[in-house]
Amino acid sequence: MTRDPYSARVRELFGAPDHAGDLEKPAARVQIIEQGVRVALAADIDGDIIVGLRFRAWGCPHLLAGAEAFCREFEGRPVSALQAFGAEEIMQTLPVPREKLGRILLLEDAVRSLGQRVRGSPDAGKDTN
Amino acid sequence: MTKEATIVYLDYAATTPVDPRVVDVMTPLFRQDGDFGNPSSGHIVGRRAMEHVERATGQLAELLGCKESELVWTSGATESDNLAILGAARYRADRGRHLITMPTEHKAVSDVFQVLEKQGFEVSWLYPDHTGVLDPAELEAAIRADTQLVSIMHVNNETGVIQDIEALGSICRERDVLFHVDAAQSVGKLPLNLASMPVDLLSTTAHKVYGPKGVGALFVADRPGCHVEPLTFGGGQQNGRRPGTLAVPLIAGFGEAARIARSEMQENRAHLQSMRDRLWRGIRDMDGMLRNGSEDHSFPGILNVSIDDVEGESLLLALEPLCVATGSACNSKSQAPSSVLRALGRSDLLAQSAIRFSFGRPTATAEVDFAVARYREAVGRLRDIAPEPAP
Repeated sequence: MTRDPYSARVRELFGAPDHAGDLEKPAARVQIIEQGVRVALAADIDGDIIVGLRFRAWGCPHLLAGAEAFCREFEGRPVSALQAFGAEEIMQTLPVPREKLGRILLLEDAVRSLGQRVRGSPDAGKDTN
Repeated sequence: MTKEATIVYLDYAATTPVDPRVVDVMTPLFRQDGDFGNPSSGHIVGRRAMEHVERATGQLAELLGCKESELVWTSGATESDNLAILGAARYRADRGRHLITMPTEHKAVSDVFQVLEKQGFEVSWLYPDHTGVLDPAELEAAIRADTQLVSIMHVNNETGVIQDIEALGSICRERDVLFHVDAAQSVGKLPLNLASMPVDLLSTTAHKVYGPKGVGALFVADRPGCHVEPLTFGGGQQNGRRPGTLAVPLIAGFGEAARIARSEMQENRAHLQSMRDRLWRGIRDMDGMLRNGSEDHSFPGILNVSIDDVEGESLLLALEPLCVATGSACNSKSQAPSSVLRALGRSDLLAQSAIRFSFGRPTATAEVDFAVARYREAVGRLRDIAPEPAP
């Protein structure tokens, strides 16, 4: 029997991508296009806190699920937490087949670029409370 | 109306359910109080089992328009293809070692030719035009003095494109080249009369025509120079061409499936065409929609479409619980773009987005309408999520 290639977690994230879309005025936005795959991430920050994350992606279900998982996990966390994001954790927790590592590494690249742009944005570090 | 959780099956080119009338024929042949015997046994239980085999052979011969003695029972189309190609190539190897086929063949054919290439045979791979149809002139030009075998499928399993096997076979017959046809998708669905067609070898299987899985047949024309070397040995059944104890319940099931297919072919064909056309009408206006394969030379049970800027694997998952195929079911684990669609000139991305819808006797209008709605919704959702493409 052919094993279901998607875990329940991947199916749930793919089926309910609540963070798919755009932010009206993001503090930072990045887009990576490579290997026929496209990933765009946008973040809103309030001081050191990520208050909004959105993604757009063109690729396999694991990539879309990984992008949604990232947004869910990092919304509400400090900007510095972005440095902790790594492809390996997504690979293991969704999980993602090893042959798709390259696509999740693109997501990791996008997250790192987003982190750099967020830290460089005019809103970074301002306490707006 | 179809509920979202209800599975809608539009993958009848991969396999069909067994017709209840077929099940009724098969069931007693498994049981102690039925005709469970070995048809090679000389006693009454064996002879009764053999009667079922003979009846089924007659039923399949009627469907194909051939002699009963021209049929060899196998385990399915893959074995039939292997027996035909390997068996014929080896039988005629002393006359020549040049063979011809197409890259759009099922892997049960193309992989066998690759094996033969490694064994020293030379293979010419003929490409179809952009609609998937092979121009007979291409075949004529490719045949050489040392060509021994041509293998071209009747109905393509991915696109439904029908090849003109009459014209192609006539060219082979004129040049004394054996002509093998993989007819797994057409037997029982399109009329065939092998007695009058220039076909030497023809592979078929039961499970595409509402029969059981695990049984197929190879037609070997009763004419000089047409013979297959056996691939297996021991037992001597079927005149040594394919020895082994005959699977009586499966063979009887295939026979009954052939009888039903013959009697209901015209009605079923009209139904398939109606379902396919309804689906195509429902999606043809979508941006970037492309139909793969000839519209003029196509089997009505298959519709293969590609769409711009949608990723195939995500599309397939978004379509659930609609059961369709991205390509040959036998090849669905592979993420590589379909070689069939690449041979038609489709880009990797378009080939990768291809979806094959295939229809069957049980397909209902409501299921097709569900498929239309689901496909439109899935494509729209994935396009909404996607970033702008590269400029």
